[in-house]
Amino acid sequence: MRTFEYRTPETIDEAISLLKEAGGSARPLAGGTDLVVQMKERATRFPYPETIVSLDRVAELRTIDFSDSDGLRIGSGATMSDVATHPAIQERYTALAEGAGVVGSLQTMNMATIGGNVCNAAPSADSAPPLLVYEAEAVIAGPNGRRSLPIAELFRGPGETALESGELLAELRLPVPPAGTGAVYERNTPRKQMDIAVVGVGVSLTLSGDTIGRARVALGAVAPTPRRAQAAEAALEGQPANDETFAKAAEAAATDDCSPITDIRASAEYRRHLVKVMTARLLAQAANRAKGTS
Amino acid sequence: MAQETKAREDTGTDGAGHTAVGRRVTRLEGAAKVTGKTVYADDMKLPGMLHAKALYAPHAHARIKSIDTAKARAAPGVYAVITADDLPDYKRNDSNRQGLIFPDKEVLFRGQPVAAVLSEDPHVAEQAVEMIEAEFEALPAVLDAVAAMEEDSPLVREPLHDVDRSEERGHVSVETEETEQEGEPSNIASSAPFARGDVEAGFAQADVVIDRTWRSAMVHQSYIEPHSTIADYDISGELRVWTSTQAPFYIRDELAQAFGLPESRIRITATEVGGGFGGKIYLTELMVAALAIAVQRPVKYIMSRKDDMLAGTPAPYAHIELKTGMKRDGTLTALQSRLIYDSGAFPGAPMLPGCMLIGGYYRCDNIDIKGYEVLTNKVSVGALRAPGAHNATFAIESQMDMMANELGLDPLEVRLKNAVGEGDPMPNGQAYPAIGLRECLEAIADSDVWRRRREVEATPNRGVGLAVGGWLGGLQPASAIVCLNADGTLNVTVGSADITGSNTSFQQIVAEVLKVPLDMVNVETGDTRTAPYAGMSAGSKTVYTVGRAVKEAAEDVRQQMFELAMKRLEVEPEDMEVADGQVQVKGAPDRAMTFQRFGKLSTNFGAPFPVIVGRGSITARKMAPGFSAQAADVEVDPETGQVTLHGYAIAQDAGFAINPLSVEGQMQGGASQGIGIALWEEMQYDQHGRLLNANLLDYRLPTARDLPPIETIIVEVPSEEGPYGARIVGEPSIVAGAAAIGNAIDNAVGTRVDEVPITPERLLRAMGKL
Ligand SMILES: Cc1cc2nc3c(=O)[nH]c(=O)nc-3n(C[C@H](O)[C@H](O)[C@H](O)COP(=O)(O)OP(=O)(O)OC[C@H]3O[C@@H](n4cnc5c(N)ncnc54)[C@H](O)[C@@H]3O)c2cc1C
Repeated sequence: MRTFEYRTPETIDEAISLLKEAGGSARPLAGGTDLVVQMKERATRFPYPETIVSLDRVAELRTIDFSDSDGLRIGSGATMSDVATHPAIQERYTALAEGAGVVGSLQTMNMATIGGNVCNAAPSADSAPPLLVYEAEAVIAGPNGRRSLPIAELFRGPGETALESGELLAELRLPVPPAGTGAVYERNTPRKQMDIAVVGVGVSLTLSGDTIGRARVALGAVAPTPRRAQAAEAALEGQPANDETFAKAAEAAATDDCSPITDIRASAEYRRHLVKVMTARLLAQAANRAKGTS
Repeated sequence: MAQETKAREDTGTDGAGHTAVGRRVTRLEGAAKVTGKTVYADDMKLPGMLHAKALYAPHAHARIKSIDTAKARAAPGVYAVITADDLPDYKRNDSNRQGLIFPDKEVLFRGQPVAAVLSEDPHVAEQAVEMIEAEFEALPAVLDAVAAMEEDSPLVREPLHDVDRSEERGHVSVETEETEQEGEPSNIASSAPFARGDVEAGFAQADVVIDRTWRSAMVHQSYIEPHSTIADYDISGELRVWTSTQAPFYIRDELAQAFGLPESRIRITATEVGGGFGGKIYLTELMVAALAIAVQRPVKYIMSRKDDMLAGTPAPYAHIELKTGMKRDGTLTALQSRLIYDSGAFPGAPMLPGCMLIGGYYRCDNIDIKGYEVLTNKVSVGALRAPGAHNATFAIESQMDMMANELGLDPLEVRLKNAVGEGDPMPNGQAYPAIGLRECLEAIADSDVWRRRREVEATPNRGVGLAVGGWLGGLQPASAIVCLNADGTLNVTVGSADITGSNTSFQQIVAEVLKVPLDMVNVETGDTRTAPYAGMSAGSKTVYTVGRAVKEAAEDVRQQMFELAMKRLEVEPEDMEVADGQVQVKGAPDRAMTFQRFGKLSTNFGAPFPVIVGRGSITARKMAPGFSAQAADVEVDPETGQVTLHGYAIAQDAGFAINPLSVEGQMQGGASQGIGIALWEEMQYDQHGRLLNANLLDYRLPTARDLPPIETIIVEVPSEEGPYGARIVGEPSIVAGAAAIGNAIDNAVGTRVDEVPITPERLLRAMGKL
């Protein structure tokens, strides 16, 4: 690995001024499970960083709070283990607990942060489809104060986000899911752990009786960014929650909501096939969960 | 059999009165390993040591136009940059990957080292590698072994002469005529035919004939510790090497020849090996030694995971065509096969053992087998636990099931009916000694996995499959020394690297011969100057050969003690025995001399006895092939093609399990690798010969969560020569996995995939669902 400056700020403000000071050649470091590997492999999508600003000591980034009025706030520095084991997340944001709970191995989850997962912006990021179905807002801190963006607008392309240089992802805000909501995330990988999603699917269904009120479907690893599956959502909302509806929505997701590529993990054709199979299965599972909670 | 092993554990004896062998013993070096105290080559640091980083060829095939090192040399902290032009004199051997340190004209695969930077700081060296300005002219890259055989194929490289095959012979001893290709230059490095009877007549007699082609991916040994070597050369002409190897004496001999040094001036220390599986024989040592000689300072070279995947010696891709015929009663009537092993850019593919095994499991009067070793512009291959065996076994064992299915016969019965036994001919005509193939099949029938088969098959998309696998084993002379210490304890010195727990088995053998508690015996692998000679720890032969030498050395100690005790005990040696740490008169344990007394009497000032040093030295000429039978219980997701393993069982003939705990460990470890080969492992190359998954995230080894519990059943059909009847153990367990899982998948969903790994996508396509 090449040499670099290493800085350890203790507050968000300090981190931002260090980033600013170093200019474009600085990079924030969270758990390092993406960044350090990329630096070793010379595979960063940005110039090799000359300054590393570690967020490890910025305690305010690590908090997770939930309240019935404000919903969920997750600091970008919360680890995947923190997220996957948080009681409120396990209870109300099941899909997110599932997404965080499959990242790498236990060791990976203890280091990897949710902010790093989002900012690395891999199309396969496992926290992304859940964050999309829960309609998370990204709170961004920068030299000019704070701004916030819907998570869907944060992802711009493989490895690319809407963050300007010198900005940090501070936290993610997730509204309280409406009553009668069931959500689930699952990914397909050849191995049971230590793998990258061939396809990831997150769904959230809000039922009133047997009718689907609100539907959110998001897909990972089948487009340049993790993305919502609007065609599938449209095929679901207002329809009866049954296998026929789910099959139509799954078909729509596979046909209209994705543009997969062929790479070493799978062919485009197989990915599209998986989108269909998994979406149908997960919708049925989400409906069952919705019924269990209503 | 499982029960027998259990009984031993409880009573501490196997019924034959053994006190130390046959017992479950934890590894001598285990505590150091699990507490992180073990010193691996990368942990070592010598005064003045430089780190080497290599520049790897960026083309699969190219002419080297120029290598300009000026910028790299000028970089601060760089001590030297070494290319082919800067190497010390050595006897270059282009037929051999290791014998060609840096190429000067032509690069033959992506990842071939072409230069090295030396610095006290490894990071400086790494950065300076990027400053080397190397210019290449790309040449046509030949990547497909089958196409490479065509007469009009471009050549992989300038034609070769005098191919050195000594390393391959360490893994398996096959008596045959292998022809190096002569005449018109071609990419076929060698071929070998094996035939008997008349295959056409055999097929004519058959009621079912199956003719298929089976492919198996290139796979990597994926040891945890990548290749790691340190070399040091001093002005007195003394060369020392510390390296993670299975073959210290072999390396010594190779370096002696390459540099024209006497073997007595070279000292190779096999550091603790963090996994080898056949891939840690000899690779980087000549290069590192040459660098150390060039700069007259110690040099350390540690491959990163990526380096090791690009430029190690993985196991070959194979394309195997097989036609087999069977009669309605299950008799195998004919077997015809063409086996093509992709050797990469240098000869050395394990085609011979593939030929021997494809026609070596079952009796068959009519065989016609032809093996080819073909060069391509990929990294050259080496051994991986039973090299070449799983590829061939996948073919024959899949077809045995297919023929049995067509004829409505039970797959286990068909195998039992045809399985070879003592006296049956191998494909080269040599007769098998006593072997336990049939006994393994009988034992697997008793496994939980096979017994629950009917019940499992009743569940949709679940199935159980079976396959056998074997390995013939290597043969090489060996020796050992056992010394009695002043306090009566014993030191054992061997020259074999311990990669499987062999030193623990040696401890047991010495404790058994001398009837002392295990903790009175310690075992050390010496270096090539301090240890007596042993062959490489490969070919599963270490306990089988070195173990015999150790036993002889311990018996020699016992005999020396008996003779020395004659005067004091007043009986002849025939009337003495060892028991409870003493030499005693048979039937009169109170007339005895303790080992401690011997120790004192043979070491103190003015002591009356000579020092007691036992010596064992053997040659091994008789094979002791090992077989296993394995059964897999799988479930297939019919919509995604995903395969889940619910159970796995392995029965293996160990001859005699000196340490059942480590034999089971070998069985489970090999079975896990076989499962990896069946379902996940594959080095993926693009059309430019670039390895696309040079990391352990995308090159998928099975994780603990992917593997089911593996049931082990030890079978014991004694070998003729092995210590206590032990036979080869390490390798047979990897061989059957691909076929067993393929057969289980077919049993589950009625679909055969003719290529491993059987990825979900390949399976789904074969099922016609994609
Ligand atoms: C063995 C292994 C297994 C893995 N398995 C998975 C998996 O199953 N699923 C999956 O999705 N990923 C996986 N990954 C990838 C990685 O672990 C995750 O993406 C992880 O969440 C990254 O978080 P981190 O804290 O390590 O980020 P880092 O590596 O520290 O940073 C990632 C990127 O985000 C930037 N960054 C980090 N924090 C901020 C911030 N607050 N504001 C702005 N920019 C920031 C960094 O500059 C960098 O570019 C795996 C990685 C490894 C090594």
